[in-house]
Amino acid sequence: MNTKQLTTPISFADLENLKAGDPVEISGTIYVGRDAVIPQVLQAVREGRLKEMGIDLEGGVIFHSAVSKAGLGPTSSNKVEIEGNMAELSDAGIRLHLGKGALSDKTVQILKEKRSIFVVIPPISAYLTKKTLKREVAAFEKEGMEAFWRLEVDRYPGIVAIAHGETIF
Amino acid sequence: MSISVNDIRKAASQALVIGSSTFRPDQIRAYERAIEKETDEKSRWVLEKTLENAAISEKDVSPLCDDTGIPHPFLEIGKDARYEGSVYDLLKAVEEGVADGLRELPGRPMAVKGEGLERMAQIHGLYEDSGKLLAAPVNIRKIDGSEIRVTVLMQGGGPEIRSKTYHVFHKHKEMQLIDTAVEWANEMVAKLGCTPCVPAIGIGRTHYEASSMMIEAQKEGNFDIQSDIENYITDKINKSDVGPLGLGGDVTALGTFLKIGEARGSGVRILCVRLSCCFEPRKHTVVLR
Repeated sequence: MNTKQLTTPISFADLENLKAGDPVEISGTIYVGRDAVIPQVLQAVREGRLKEMGIDLEGGVIFHSAVSKAGLGPTSSNKVEIEGNMAELSDAGIRLHLGKGALSDKTVQILKEKRSIFVVIPPISAYLTKKTLKREVAAFEKEGMEAFWRLEVDRYPGIVAIAHGETIF
Repeated sequence: MSISVNDIRKAASQALVIGSSTFRPDQIRAYERAIEKETDEKSRWVLEKTLENAAISEKDVSPLCDDTGIPHPFLEIGKDARYEGSVYDLLKAVEEGVADGLRELPGRPMAVKGEGLERMAQIHGLYEDSGKLLAAPVNIRKIDGSEIRVTVLMQGGGPEIRSKTYHVFHKHKEMQLIDTAVEWANEMVAKLGCTPCVPAIGIGRTHYEASSMMIEAQKEGNFDIQSDIENYITDKINKSDVGPLGLGGDVTALGTFLKIGEARGSGVRILCVRLSCCFEPRKHTVVLR
């Protein structure tokens, strides 16, 4: 397979030639958040508090996962708090949403408008743990494994599932 | 010689750790057959990565999936088995062994603090101790012989979203039930994400019984031994073209585990369908003599 390398921060130009079905590998700093924390992150965005929290979402990746001593792996991205907030996260700078599961046609259109993409990643926790170089809580520590995490990753593998109005689903 | 309570505790711990970190030989063979069958290059890559992940897990004795799941223990007691203590002691040993196993694995620390509705709302957060996650009620069964068999089955959260237990008016046609199971599976499978799935299906007289049959189907299931009706279900789901990780392709279901329970004289049956994920069933049995 001809795999495209993506390193954060990701620009709009990086995504221009990607198509649904393309294999990618993601490296660099990424954020991790799921149902419990995404609404809290967006509240911080609305209140303009991200900078003081040391968080920069511009060109970013958000991986829909928990992070725990058991490792990490994608949760279902079609949960209400995740899929329903992709538009606002994209407005906040997220270019690549990373998770699993089919998303709605409405979301396909939203991601097209916002010029961000959805990549699915296999739930291969043991493998991903080996590809995770560094992990730290970025915010909302009280949520434990569901906090907002910052990771340094080396070539996380995935397949582009939604890009430019096209979808594999 | 009698089986000690400590042996039971160790068996429960060992069953949990091995079941959560290892693919069984029949499971590996099922993946090898799937890789051979899958014609889509990207989907084949997902299947190969899943096997690679299992090899890392087994070598490192680490979880196959970060959603290590809810432990479902089985305690099967032989007719002539001799053991120390009471049945209460055996059940306590299983619970303690499960907690030991969760700490050793380690399990995902996802036990929720608080009581009742506050626990539902998760307002007090989670315990950091993996061992705080209580097992589902222990299933106790009687068997022949002098053995005690301790099995732990780990049930992930994604498949619980893609599961359904409901009544079916079967019209006195058995295929009405089977085709309804296929219909439910095909409605849910694209949203599972962690395909290939393994449909676990139970049929019973009550919702409790149908769910129990579904759990037993997983405990007993072997990918090398598939009945005609299990193959029928697998083949029908594979026609959906959802494929591994939803990428399309030939392998949406790796196999099917079906257990049919008792029936009541009625036009209705209770059907339970759980779309287990690509790592399931995560299970192991320790036999004590």
